[in-house]
Amino acid sequence: MSIQIEEKGQTRTTALQGIWTSVFRNPWPSTDLERSSTSFTNFFLHIHPVKVHKHTLKPAYTLGLGLISFFLFLILVVTGILLMFYYVPSTTQAYDRMLDLRGTVAFGIFLRNMHRWSAHGMVAMVFLHMCRVFLTGSYKKPREFNWVLGVMLLLVTLFLSFTGYLLPWDQLAFWAITVGTSIAAYAPLIGKEIQFVLLGDSTVGQEALLRFYVLHVAVLPAVLGLLVAIHFWRIRKDGGLSRPEEPTPRPPTPDPRPPSRIYGLQGFVRGAFNGGAPEDSVFSWPNLLLAELFVFVLTVSVILVVSLLFHAPLEEPVNVMHPPNPAKAPWYFLGLQEMVSYSAFWGGVGVPGLMVMLLIGVPYFDRNPKGVGRWFAKERLLANTVFLSLVVLNIIFIIVGTFFRGPNWTFVSPF
Amino acid sequence: MRLALAIASFVVLIVHGVVFYDQFFHKWEKHQTAYFEQARSLTKNEAERAALEARSPKIEQYIVTSFGDTHVDRCGTCHIAVDDPRFAGYSEPLKSHPYSAALGDVQRNGRWERRHRFADFGCTVCHGGQGRGLETEYSHGQDEYWPEPMLGYVVQANWRKDFAPRLKGKEYMEANCAQCHTSENFAGTPNVNRGRKLFYAMNCYGCHKIDGMSEGTLGPDLTEAGKKYKVDYLWESIVEPRANLATSFMPKFNLGENDVRALVIFLKSRRGVNFAETEMDRYKAHVANVAVVIPPGTAGEKAGEQLIQDRACTACHKLRDSDGGIAPDLSYEGLIRDPQWLMDHFKNPRSRIPDSIMPTFRFPDDDFQRITAFLASLKTPPPAMTPAGTYKALCERCHGEKGDGNGKVAWYLDPAPRDFTRAAFMNSKPKERFVASIGNGVPGTSMPPWKNALKPDQVDAVLAYALQTFTKEPAKSLKPRDLPETNPVASSPDSIRHGEQIFLDRCTGCHGRKEDGKGPNSLDITPRPRNLRNTAFVESVNDKRLFESILYGVQGTAMPPWIDYGLSKNDVGDIVNFIRSINRKSGSGQYARN
Repeated sequence: MSIQIEEKGQTRTTALQGIWTSVFRNPWPSTDLERSSTSFTNFFLHIHPVKVHKHTLKPAYTLGLGLISFFLFLILVVTGILLMFYYVPSTTQAYDRMLDLRGTVAFGIFLRNMHRWSAHGMVAMVFLHMCRVFLTGSYKKPREFNWVLGVMLLLVTLFLSFTGYLLPWDQLAFWAITVGTSIAAYAPLIGKEIQFVLLGDSTVGQEALLRFYVLHVAVLPAVLGLLVAIHFWRIRKDGGLSRPEEPTPRPPTPDPRPPSRIYGLQGFVRGAFNGGAPEDSVFSWPNLLLAELFVFVLTVSVILVVSLLFHAPLEEPVNVMHPPNPAKAPWYFLGLQEMVSYSAFWGGVGVPGLMVMLLIGVPYFDRNPKGVGRWFAKERLLANTVFLSLVVLNIIFIIVGTFFRGPNWTFVSPF
Repeated sequence: MRLALAIASFVVLIVHGVVFYDQFFHKWEKHQTAYFEQARSLTKNEAERAALEARSPKIEQYIVTSFGDTHVDRCGTCHIAVDDPRFAGYSEPLKSHPYSAALGDVQRNGRWERRHRFADFGCTVCHGGQGRGLETEYSHGQDEYWPEPMLGYVVQANWRKDFAPRLKGKEYMEANCAQCHTSENFAGTPNVNRGRKLFYAMNCYGCHKIDGMSEGTLGPDLTEAGKKYKVDYLWESIVEPRANLATSFMPKFNLGENDVRALVIFLKSRRGVNFAETEMDRYKAHVANVAVVIPPGTAGEKAGEQLIQDRACTACHKLRDSDGGIAPDLSYEGLIRDPQWLMDHFKNPRSRIPDSIMPTFRFPDDDFQRITAFLASLKTPPPAMTPAGTYKALCERCHGEKGDGNGKVAWYLDPAPRDFTRAAFMNSKPKERFVASIGNGVPGTSMPPWKNALKPDQVDAVLAYALQTFTKEPAKSLKPRDLPETNPVASSPDSIRHGEQIFLDRCTGCHGRKEDGKGPNSLDITPRPRNLRNTAFVESVNDKRLFESILYGVQGTAMPPWIDYGLSKNDVGDIVNFIRSINRKSGSGQYARN
């Protein structure tokens, strides 16, 4: 009897285990082998290497900025999809839907707040992430192209935020996009055409709203998602995050196998981190995952608190006859608008175009291989100084444009 | 690290708690519970009590589909006692909606029966507000961007403080009553009826279109004014027409507060097609309104006088003792305008005064002829007076008490009346020019010829009076200037093209790209830059004067001496040819140069 019961119990356990193992190939890891296997065989975890360099986990090195940007993107996707259930991209209905979100839809205002603040946060975080990568010299060989991808991600992020700006169809949206697209029109030769293709009309109207909507909810998120995937994939293929040069070059581990016979796929990874000395590396499970979880929870909590405390702005419905004075672009383009106030072409197209080209070209101009993996490395004094001064200049322009510009773009004091 | 993770997770948990609490804890449940308790204590039999016991708090809503878009009115969620007569004496939100014979409610066997049942009408059809809202701020429409706040009850935060208190009161709801009760004399909507009468009596219909009522085109179409604008905006637009649009030329009418309120309520009731009307009804009303003729019994002058009264001309103009304070005096019209001028001006005021703001009224031809006959008969000259008296009687209404060109109607006149206090101008022109302007008038402007009303010595006297009283500075002898009598440059396509080029380069800032005197700088300039497409005026000015104004500038105005800025006589000749070319009446007109 007792044996039978035991057997029954065992079969039951085995059935449950069967289901568990059919979903998760591994038990909850308790040995190093299981830790490796978990990271390796789980779809969502296999993006991580089995082991990471200890340096990668130093919070003060990365500040988690890239991850924060990605998690903000995830929040934006989720809240954005929920908002799509209520939004209608029509000039007659869009604003009413905003009022509905605010007054009658359950969680509506909270969702909108989260979406809005995450969007602003993402623009800021992506920018800061770029600064981090530059200031630690992480764009150098073999990571040149991942830097280029990063610059493209920054541009797509800006464009995503910009297209979303129009959708509430209030005064803020209408005039910010009117200003923003007229900056685009200053581009030589094709400026007017770019503006026309964007707006589908000579002014911001129904066509522009529909185009911005499609770009915002379908085209740009898909592009961004793809670029992010490549960005992440290349981190692995370029040998993990950047880190300081090894103090003494390790002698190449002699390969016991005859090279003509067997090829390790690891050989395709440039500058691979293959575990190295045991004291340099830790298992991704749980060290890296815990760190990522922390960044995620932190990001979510900050966005939640901000969304609870501050409401996303909503102004009067669009009134084409009454432009606010001054009509201001979204804050991240206010630096541009400020420069445009000095010279339409140079401020709106020349300087920013040059900046983007410079940014993209940075890993190819900067041939100095030294100073990778450390903040403000002495060897990179010149590069860092140039970069920082441009960043500070841009921030100053944004601050001036945001707080110090009054009617007719005259200088006013906010105090 | 783990501690920080725990803290962050805790924050996430707390915020979720707060948000969910906020979403799922409803204030209205408290109101409903209170109602159930009160109602139980008021019940007399067990069945009612049992029915009440069975009820639990839930969202109460009326779904009304008979009035335009579907209304989902959840007002009864808080105002749960709205149809319970026992709660008449309670305070909001647990107060029953009043019963009133004026609303059509009837009492049968001691019980009131509503004419407008909530199940049929809902709440927002009459009251406005946001029917689906469940929080006071949103459902009452206090949210400043909600387009339909509860009429006469809610004052939104961004409304103008100075007249916001006047925007409260039950009477504002008449605008909603009128959506069904469209009859012009419906007793329940006295303010709408009064506003409709004022719309005609104050000549609003001359400029504004309301489908089925009027077809003015000078001002905005008001067919859907009630849908587009809130009462705050409507009130402001009537009492301060330029508060929202600096360039508006809508007159500030002389209206009492009750008149303004009636007009606002009337306009609030204009929503395009309303619940009670079909497109066909609108078309019939339109035909009826346009065909209105007021046939006075007798023909001729008497009928004209009657028409002037019926058509409310003195809502703007002055005629003897009635003065609208907006448009010129008609008392001496027979002396200063001939019948042809009057008829042309009626058919299209801008054919005679290109920048006139007078609406083109579409009265029957007979009516115009009768009014013209009456006006042409006003030939009694003003009695002989002192020069000061003459100025006061004839000039002051436009040129102002202080002679600064700022009389009571001056704002509505374009070009503006001459400012006599600008000595620089007054002393740079010969006296003969002023005498001619008074005697012959200034074509294309509101300055009429006075030669039939004033004798030459009277003209001299009133001019001397104006110069002495307002200009003050004694005239200096004028420097002779080297000016050709006629334009030495022959008009040719090349000359005109060159003139246009100079015009585009130098003149458009003030005179505008359309040469209409409304360039971007013109708003800040007095007197306003000339409208160079004012053909009547341009034709009355000889080449010599054009040369003088362009080459040597117009002293006392913003027109600079272009000779100092490098324009040669030939250049000016080209400009003059260009100006003449855009004012040719027929044949080789402005398009000839293409």
